[in-house]
Amino acid sequence: MSTTRTWLRHNLFRTRRDTVLTVVFGLLALWLLYKTFRFIFVTGRWSIIEVNLQLLMIGRYPEAHVLRLAVTVVVLALWGGLLAGFIRGRQVRSGRMTAADSKLSRARVTDLVERLWIPLALVVLLLMLTSTPGPWIMVGLAVAAALVGRLVGPFVGRLRLPPIGSLLVVFVFGAIPVVLYFYVVTAVGFDGWGGFMLNLFLAVCSIILCYPLGVLLALGRRSGLPLVRLVCTTYIEVIRGAPLFVLLLLANVALGFFVPDSLAPATSTRAIVVFTFFTAAYMAEIIRGGLQSVPRGQIEAAKAVGLSPIRQTGYIVLPQALRNVIPAQIGQLISLFKDTTLAGIAMGLFDLLQVSGAITSQEDFRGQGLIAETLTFAALMFWVVSYTMSRESQRLEKRLGVGIR
Amino acid sequence: MTEQHDDAAVFDDATAMTGTRDVMIEIEHVDKFFGDFQALKDINLKVGAQEVVVVIGPSGSGKSTLIRCINRLEEHDGGRIVVDGTELSNDIRNIQEIRRETGMVFQSFNLFPHLTVLDNITLAPRKVRRMPKAKAEELGMELLEMVKIPEQAGKYPGQMSGGQQQRVAIARALAMNPKVMLFDEPTSALDPEMIGEVLDTMKELARSGMTMIVVTHEMGFAREVADRVVFMADGQIVEVGTPEHFFESPREDRTKLFLSQIL
Repeated sequence: MSTTRTWLRHNLFRTRRDTVLTVVFGLLALWLLYKTFRFIFVTGRWSIIEVNLQLLMIGRYPEAHVLRLAVTVVVLALWGGLLAGFIRGRQVRSGRMTAADSKLSRARVTDLVERLWIPLALVVLLLMLTSTPGPWIMVGLAVAAALVGRLVGPFVGRLRLPPIGSLLVVFVFGAIPVVLYFYVVTAVGFDGWGGFMLNLFLAVCSIILCYPLGVLLALGRRSGLPLVRLVCTTYIEVIRGAPLFVLLLLANVALGFFVPDSLAPATSTRAIVVFTFFTAAYMAEIIRGGLQSVPRGQIEAAKAVGLSPIRQTGYIVLPQALRNVIPAQIGQLISLFKDTTLAGIAMGLFDLLQVSGAITSQEDFRGQGLIAETLTFAALMFWVVSYTMSRESQRLEKRLGVGIR
Repeated sequence: MTEQHDDAAVFDDATAMTGTRDVMIEIEHVDKFFGDFQALKDINLKVGAQEVVVVIGPSGSGKSTLIRCINRLEEHDGGRIVVDGTELSNDIRNIQEIRRETGMVFQSFNLFPHLTVLDNITLAPRKVRRMPKAKAEELGMELLEMVKIPEQAGKYPGQMSGGQQQRVAIARALAMNPKVMLFDEPTSALDPEMIGEVLDTMKELARSGMTMIVVTHEMGFAREVADRVVFMADGQIVEVGTPEHFFESPREDRTKLFLSQIL
């Protein structure tokens, strides 16, 4: 008790001015907390979310084909589990981890829950809002599939395959998401995506595509060949000088100047292209910073042991460079994820933000000022994913930091 | 010993002492400029197989630049450098070949911090010599035994002392089975109590018959191990001789001055 009092006195009420500040900001915080609490549990009319949950999550994806999405989610969970297990199996095989490390223990379960409790809580919340059993079954199957994949994966990873076998494994792993994409898309056409699913889809595709492009641009900007350097530098500076919103509008409108409508790619594809090109320019500058942080001695040592220039970059410089700038890279990718809402505004895609606005003018909810509720919901969805990315990046940084100087 | 001696005479100094040798490294009339500053001025030196040459001199005298030219970490501007019969040219394949034949140990170790000790050693044999992983790791462990730290194989460089790191760096250079080892002030960045362990490793290497060029300030090492000592100042080789000659009866005034300053 007295320690609490000492702590309070020391940190909050040390001088008269401290006391005044504490009281003022304490009251302000309490008031904000009260208002928020009241909004969430008393005044907020959340039925609009409940009624429109499907629209918010998957847009106008046709009812007849919703099963495809469920299948996709379950297969992706299996795929993710397999991949995680496969990687662990490889680590065990190469001796970086022992089999004992991968024993299921209470500590590992606690660790996993601690890592992922926020997105898990969100999933549970969303399930509570559903009125049909479908989503429950889907999530149940997805969890089961992920577990099965995680248990089977290590056996695949531990196999000693001939080169052709390894190539086949890589090919199958790479092909599954592509096959799923077409499976989903053939039901509705390229622009049938909508809701939060569309934001996730745009972000994941753009992230996967922009990363290698960013690395190449960063290396190109430091290249010894003047022409390569010029092209990369010009690209980076031009793209970074243009607002993302303008680029999105241009992709929507100006493409018609060059390509006939029949050949023009779908709107969501154009959005992915713009996000990819835009973010790659920023990633390139971040990665260039990382490249510059690798001491000259590292390159000299790599040269001295006889590594070729490509291997010097691939084995010595890049791994250190990328690790050194993980926080900035993840920041850029989180920013990209949130910017996918701009595609809704600029290109008329029916993403989560657009849905959030549109449902407030439904007959049942028109003129009731429910935009606060729907925007709060949208913000929550984005926050949970962004925050999870940020936490995972910190974890990654810690894990890769083992060998740091 | 610079202008008045031709390069053959320089080489003869060594052969006279230690019998006839095959020539491993030939450096002829080499110049090196950094902008307007001339770091190396008409350097001539021949190093025989299995010979240990120690290069000493005040800082800024071009010692490091000289050995960095041998494996093309610096490009020389004039003259020629021949390593084991291959002349250094701008052809990348030539450079790669010479780098495979020469190991280098740096003042600041330059171990790869993101790789374990064993991976540091096995990377080049596996990727450049295409050695199978198991065989490379066997070789890596042998080399770690040789430098007396096999128990550190799984650690990362950042978890080791400077002396241990430098011994790993020596093992890494040896993993490519080089014909020549270049040491660029290998003990200058070490705490005094760790210098001994690194020098011991180097002495052992010299006894095993490795051709070595060592830039160092460790006069005790030069006296004990060197076949020849090269004294450089202001980008020139001032005097070359056996350790006895060099430390007991140096010829040049510049050498005498340097020795009086450090001994």
